[in-house]
Formats: sequence, structure tokens, C-alpha cells
Amino acid sequence: MNKLERVPSQAAPDFASFVDYEQGLVDRRIFSDEAIYQTELERIFARAWNFMCHESQIKEPGDFFQNRIGDDRVVITRDKKGDVQVLLNSCRHRGNVICRAEQGRAKSFMCPYHGWNYGLDGKLVGVPGMKEFYRNDLNKDEWGLGKAAKVESYNGFVFATMDPDAPPLEEYLGDVGKVGLDIAARDGNIEVVNGVQKNRIGCNWKMAVDNLFDWYHPTVSHASAQRSGFFPQFEESLSHMDQMVMIGEYGHAIAGPLVKPENETTATPAQNRYGIQQLKAHPNIFPNLWITLQGDQLSLRLPNGPFETEIWWFTIFQKGIPEEERRLRLSMASHVFGPGGLLEQDDGENWAHSTRGTKGVASRRYPLHYAMGKGHDQMVGTPEGHMRAETVVNEHGQLWTYKSWAEWMDAESWADLKANHSPAPAGRI
Amino acid sequence: MRAAEDIPMGTLQDLDPQAHMLLQFDVERFLYDEAAALDDRRFIEWLDLLTEDIHYWMPIRRTVNANELDQEFTQIGDMSYFDDDKEMLKHRVARLDTGYAWAELPPSRTRHLITNVRLVGMDGDEIDVESNFHLYRSRLDTEEDSWFGKRCDRLRRVDGQLKICRRHIFLDQTVLLSTNLSSLF
Repeated sequence: MNKLERVPSQAAPDFASFVDYEQGLVDRRIFSDEAIYQTELERIFARAWNFMCHESQIKEPGDFFQNRIGDDRVVITRDKKGDVQVLLNSCRHRGNVICRAEQGRAKSFMCPYHGWNYGLDGKLVGVPGMKEFYRNDLNKDEWGLGKAAKVESYNGFVFATMDPDAPPLEEYLGDVGKVGLDIAARDGNIEVVNGVQKNRIGCNWKMAVDNLFDWYHPTVSHASAQRSGFFPQFEESLSHMDQMVMIGEYGHAIAGPLVKPENETTATPAQNRYGIQQLKAHPNIFPNLWITLQGDQLSLRLPNGPFETEIWWFTIFQKGIPEEERRLRLSMASHVFGPGGLLEQDDGENWAHSTRGTKGVASRRYPLHYAMGKGHDQMVGTPEGHMRAETVVNEHGQLWTYKSWAEWMDAESWADLKANHSPAPAGRI
Repeated sequence: MRAAEDIPMGTLQDLDPQAHMLLQFDVERFLYDEAAALDDRRFIEWLDLLTEDIHYWMPIRRTVNANELDQEFTQIGDMSYFDDDKEMLKHRVARLDTGYAWAELPPSRTRHLITNVRLVGMDGDEIDVESNFHLYRSRLDTEEDSWFGKRCDRLRRVDGQLKICRRHIFLDQTVLLSTNLSSLF
């Protein structure tokens, strides 16, 4: 018996009590409580489908890319058969990392501690001293690397879950979860541009996720982008834009500008410079994958304790786009988002200090307000068969994320979550 | 005594030791004055030290295995942290004066330590200079960032004055441990 029984959650309060959906209030403790964070690792990250990489990053057998699922480091590999594997980056002998590089190509992964060697599929293939020290009394078949319970791709985007009871990826994503990946995939002939930006912000991961739905902050947080001349019609372009919200099961949501035909002429000089005519709404795949710049970029928000988040930016282009367009879109990507981006550089401190603002004994008695638009909007069917609200700036996406968060946290298992999660709302929201 | 401006154009190998020393002195003085402009927050003056065709670029560095060190840095045409022309750098500077550049409000305190200055090439009126830097940022009450790395600059003599026409910045960190990159390197 190599597997420990599942350890019950350390903290199992009534998480629904932390989110008052009807009044749009969220208890600050969910952003800074260490026990709640540990439960998130178990009940959200070890249970959800987590974004790993795009298949273009691991094209050939031997290609690998490192990522994380909660606190678990994982190596995504293309094995000799051409299958994608998601392996725990932890030797079965003493737990040491078996892969230290972020990415690359390997024939196998040898633990630098004692030399246990694992194949690209995670099988234990070599043990120094097998005969002399172990006296051949070690069944290598039983001591391969831990693996994700399931690995699936959608449009070439690889996801993994550590929970064998998770539903299939497409069922998990549902309509709303698929939208962003469909936009990003375009005709399917895409690849991740070489180079994933990575930086750490001293904020809770949910503060970063929360922000992607937030079309209230740009005119203040990002006012410098407008006033510097980088994005001269930023405020105007936002105030003219109608907003839309889509809400899906398990916490997926999309919120942001609804581009109507009559708004399509409002391209700004900066947008023209980059050949991108409109901004569009932002999808999040629960828990932590944001798709933006009309599918040109994915932002992954990796939790690193309650007070730290690692932000990773993947940039995606169609193969063979003209060189000039490629350069413009590349510079757009680095000029807007990422740690040096003119918009995103002003976000980090807000998230960090918002997180810090949830620590104080007195401060945390005051819930955070997520009620903008609550009760004022209507989900209606579109001709394409989606449900969405057409409205003004609102906080429906954030509030839905927290409502779903509480359901994930209260559920004992996938079966429990499946049975007891809220359906996507219809009618008034 | 020869003035640095009088040093003949050509290649480094053409220079006699005294001319090399004078050029080294001239370049170091330029880089220190430039660092002082940044640390004193004289950003408009700093922009004047850049040519109109400057390429200001910081690639992404990765932890890679020893046999794949050729892939340690992304290349031009790949993703980067900075890929700026003069216009973009003007926006970066202009934003600091908008009153809304929150990442730099209240303004950070920076210190550029420039060391190991080496002339590595010269072609006509352009000089390739490599230097190491430690850019320290102290921010708000207790926040600190330290960026170490190498700058590969190309300086050009324009009307007798040195200007930067290329700055490629190679950080030592792979995962950046800073909230943002709102400082100028």
C-alpha cells in the first residue's frame, strides 16, 4: 500500500458563511487566513482542472515544462509514445525535485540526491545499488512518480487534475469556460511564443483573479496609461463601452466590454498602432486562468501562501502571422501587461495592500463590498444560445467567483460539489 | 592632454593605451551621470541621453539545464519584459508625471550602482559597453527590490556627446521577485 488515506481538511468551517451572495458581501478572512489557504490547496487546487501549458510548448518527445498545482510542483512531459504526462516533481525516495529546469528537453529525470531515475512517463527506471544495497527487494513498478489523476487538452491547452473523480475537462469548462480558449485557439494553428513572464506579487491569489472582472478600476488604476499618451482615449473607450457578463457552473465567468457593431469604430491610436480594433471581455477559468488581449495572452495566478501570488504570462499567436504584425502584437503584450506593462504595473500594489487590509483584527470585521449591480441585471439568452447580461460596469463576475469558491470549499468531494453547486443563474442577478 | 572627443573613430584595436583609457574614462563618466539622472528623478534629462532610434530591451531568463544554456534568454522576436522604442520610453517617463502612476506614488527611492564597465567593441562612432548593475529600490515604508544584472549598451557619439542607442538588460533572476518593473534600468 503506497498511498496514504486522504487526510481530512484541517479547517472545515461553513464557508458559505464567508460569502453573502444576496447582499454582495465577502468576509476579509478568506484572503489572509492560513487555515483557509491550506483548505484551498486541498479543495480547490488539488480538485480543479489546472492549466498546465499549451501543447506547442512540448512538441517533441522529451520536451518538458514545469508548472505547479497548488504547492505541488509538476513536470509536464511529452513521453516517448507522444502522450502528455503530468508528473509530480518529487522523488518517491526522499521527495527531492527530480527536475530543476523550468523547461527543456530530457531523456529521463534523475534525482540529484541518490540517483533514482524516472522515465518521461514517470516510471522508475533506474535505482543505484538495486542489487547490492536493496538486495533486489524493491518493486520499481510500484515506485514511479506520482501523477495527475487526469490529463486532458482542449484546443491544445493542457489541463490536469489531481482528483480522479473530477468530471471530464469539457464538462468542467462548460460553455462559459470554453469561450476564452476558443478565442485564444482561433483556427487551431497557434503556438505559445517563446518566453513566459513570471513575477511575484505580495497578494492573495483571489485578489488577482477578482481584478480581471473589474472594469471599475481602469479609469483610476490605469489613468496614467491614458494621461501619458500611451492610450489617450482609454477612459473614453471604456465609458462608451457597454458591458456584458456570462456566468458558468463551477465558478467560470466572463465580464467586460460588450463590443456592439455601433462601437466598432472607436479604435484608439494605440489600438490602431497595434492593429487591434477593440477591447473585449475577460474570461476566467476557475480557479486561476485569465484569457486576455482577445486571446493573445493567458495569465495564470499561482498561489504561494495566502500573501503571495506568482503571475505567469503566456503569449499566443497564430503560426505564420506576418512578421510586422507579430512584432506589433508582441510589443503590445509587453507594453500593456506583465510586470513592465504600463497598465499592469499599477495593479500589483493595490492587490498587495488590499490583501494586507484583510489582516488587521479590526479591519477584518468589515466585509468587502461586491454588490455593484446586484439585483439590477437580467440574464437573457443570446441568438448563439448563451446566457448573458448586457449592462454597465458591475461586480457580478467577482461575486460569482466567491460564491462558487465557497461551494468548492464546503464540498467534501467532487460528488458533493457536483450535487450541490449552484447552476448558472437565469433571470435576475 | 587629449580630449576624449578627439579620439579617432575606428575599432578598439586601433586605440593606443592612452586613448583607450581616455575613452574608458569618458564612458564611465557618462554612465555614472546617467545613473545620477535616474536616481535624482531627472527623467526628462535622462530621455535626452537616448538616441531617437534606441532599442531598450529586457529578455526573459529561464532556469535551464547546462546543456541548454543557449536557451537561457529569450531572443529578439520572442517574449520579453521590455521591448521599447523611444516613443514607448517617453510614455514610461510621461506616466510618472501624470499623478496617477500608482506603482511610483509616492515616488520610489532608487540607487543605480554601475560597475565592471568594459569597452567590448567599437565601430566608427559607436562603442559597445558592458556593465554590471545593482538597481536597488526602496519603496513606501519597508518595501525593497534588488535587481542585479548586466547591461549591454551601445553608445553613439552625437555632436560630440555620448548617447545610448541600444540598451539590452540581462537580469539574474528568472522568476522576478518584484511586484512590477516600474523602475528604469
